[in-house]
Amino acid sequence: MKLETVGKNIIRVDGLAKVTGKATYPQDLYMDNMLYGKTLRSTKPHANIKVDTKKAEKIPGVIKILTYRDVPYNHHGVLFKDHEVFCAKKVRSIGDPIAFVVATCEKTATKALEEIEVEYEELEAVFDPIKAMDEKAPKVHDKSNIIYKYQLRRGDIEEGFKQCDVIVEEEYKTSMVDHAFLQPEAGIAYLENDTVVVCVSTQYPHFDQLEIAEALKIPLDKVKVINPAVGGAFGGREDITMQIHLALATRLIGRPVKAIYTRQESFVAHSKRHPMIMRYKTGANRAGRLIAMEATIVGDTGAYASWAINILRKSGVHATGPYEIPNVKVDSYAVYTNNPFAGAMRGFGATQVPIAHEQQMDILAERLNIDPIRFRLENCFKKGSTTATGQILEESIPLERTIKEVEKQMKKSVVGGV
Amino acid sequence: MKKIALNINGEEYVVDINEDMRLIDLLRDKLHFTGTKEGCGEGECGACTVIMDGETVNSCMVLAFQAEGREIITIEGVGNGEALHPIQKAFLEEGAVQCGFCIPGMVLSAKALLDKKPAPTRNEIREGISGNLCRCTGYNKIVDAIDKASKYLKEEGETK
Ligand code: FES
Ligand code: FES
Repeated sequence: MKLETVGKNIIRVDGLAKVTGKATYPQDLYMDNMLYGKTLRSTKPHANIKVDTKKAEKIPGVIKILTYRDVPYNHHGVLFKDHEVFCAKKVRSIGDPIAFVVATCEKTATKALEEIEVEYEELEAVFDPIKAMDEKAPKVHDKSNIIYKYQLRRGDIEEGFKQCDVIVEEEYKTSMVDHAFLQPEAGIAYLENDTVVVCVSTQYPHFDQLEIAEALKIPLDKVKVINPAVGGAFGGREDITMQIHLALATRLIGRPVKAIYTRQESFVAHSKRHPMIMRYKTGANRAGRLIAMEATIVGDTGAYASWAINILRKSGVHATGPYEIPNVKVDSYAVYTNNPFAGAMRGFGATQVPIAHEQQMDILAERLNIDPIRFRLENCFKKGSTTATGQILEESIPLERTIKEVEKQMKKSVVGGV
Repeated sequence: MKKIALNINGEEYVVDINEDMRLIDLLRDKLHFTGTKEGCGEGECGACTVIMDGETVNSCMVLAFQAEGREIITIEGVGNGEALHPIQKAFLEEGAVQCGFCIPGMVLSAKALLDKKPAPTRNEIREGISGNLCRCTGYNKIVDAIDKASKYLKEEGETK
């Protein structure tokens, strides 16, 4: 077969527009008669709220202030519909949207935000996912904070640990990470006859379309989502941010409405990488073979589930790292807290666990007095290996080669930089 | 309101501005030079880089009135019409462009650097773009591209 693209350097289709500054991101769109929208967000992590917009509505230039009362179906979310378009009675994390001011210019919209009165009746909050798992912990939603448990079992874990000469038990924590894509969220919505058009940088236009249609209670074919240039995303544009606010505003007002988040608002508006607490117990025999591994992984998904289930499943699946271990027990949990919500970010749950399994490997190697590279080569996946989930790896397992190459490069003691 | 005159990409403009208007707002919202991007609004990211009298500035940190009588180059003023500037060509060829949001600023920082120092070392290139953040590429390909652009410019100079 003759390949026309694979193996060749191809100039990307949007490259020319991007090097000349002509690529259009949503903030670059301007329309006649356009209005500006600004979001009022919660400043408390857990509170009952009462919102009064009357004073703000009187400011000249303010066209409309949207709250939950304006939303036909006030829910959205990729897996669970646990986000509210605008919080009705309660806020669950700092940054939750409460209202959307639409005004003739940005300055007026910003001024109006300050005039909206929000009465917060603070509730006890929970920020530690381990505490949140306790039955008696404050409930973020009206049900258990534990929203998912994944279990993986291979071999006989107790028997396995009995055969180990060395066992290492440690706890590892990773922190919250923001994607910090360079283009802050921006969008513009307008009407095309009776169709609502939303231009927004998104990773998920077809699902945005569905969520907008559901929230507005209009047929799917009356919603059009246009995805112009996207200025980075890395998972952070998989959940709805401003899409429904813009669509609703333009539908109720009949004029184009634009919004651009500041960098600061961008940080509170979109998801984060799940912080994880990982308890590991790993054992090997004197010959340097891994025999057993037990891991409990708790992922803090903050106030909303987003992709927590898929992510904590993936962490569980990848908990052993690329090593063959005959006896495995993994429990992974996704837990609600009142922290900023976590969702997709590069690696989708596979990025956190190496912090734990690789340090376990180093400590074990040290205790066994084996070179850490030899120890990895001894145990790593090879052609024909069986993973903890029972998959037999039949092709393309270049790990041994990779480790050897890394070893070679390390020995060259290269001085950093390019 | 205040009236100022300035030169943008070789053309004279006389515009009405508000006293508190930033240069980036004048360029984008008033004149629609939307190739200038806003990534942070506080002088951290360099997406809003333009060249003012030969020096790069963050246009989010400059007030519009400070540009009175100055010469500004934005990304729209790099290259001439159809033909790409060697820097833009090199960025394309080296795959230095991903999401593109940092690229106008990167190209302008590269231009300001190469205008002053036609054959920079790789360290000098890194220094030259140290005010521009890129979240996509990891910078290596951008450094490769600027290195290549410097060679293109040298060849151009020799054929002239
Ligand atoms: S927008 Fe000016 S430096 Fe980031
Ligand atoms: S290409 Fe995306 S920020 Fe540089």
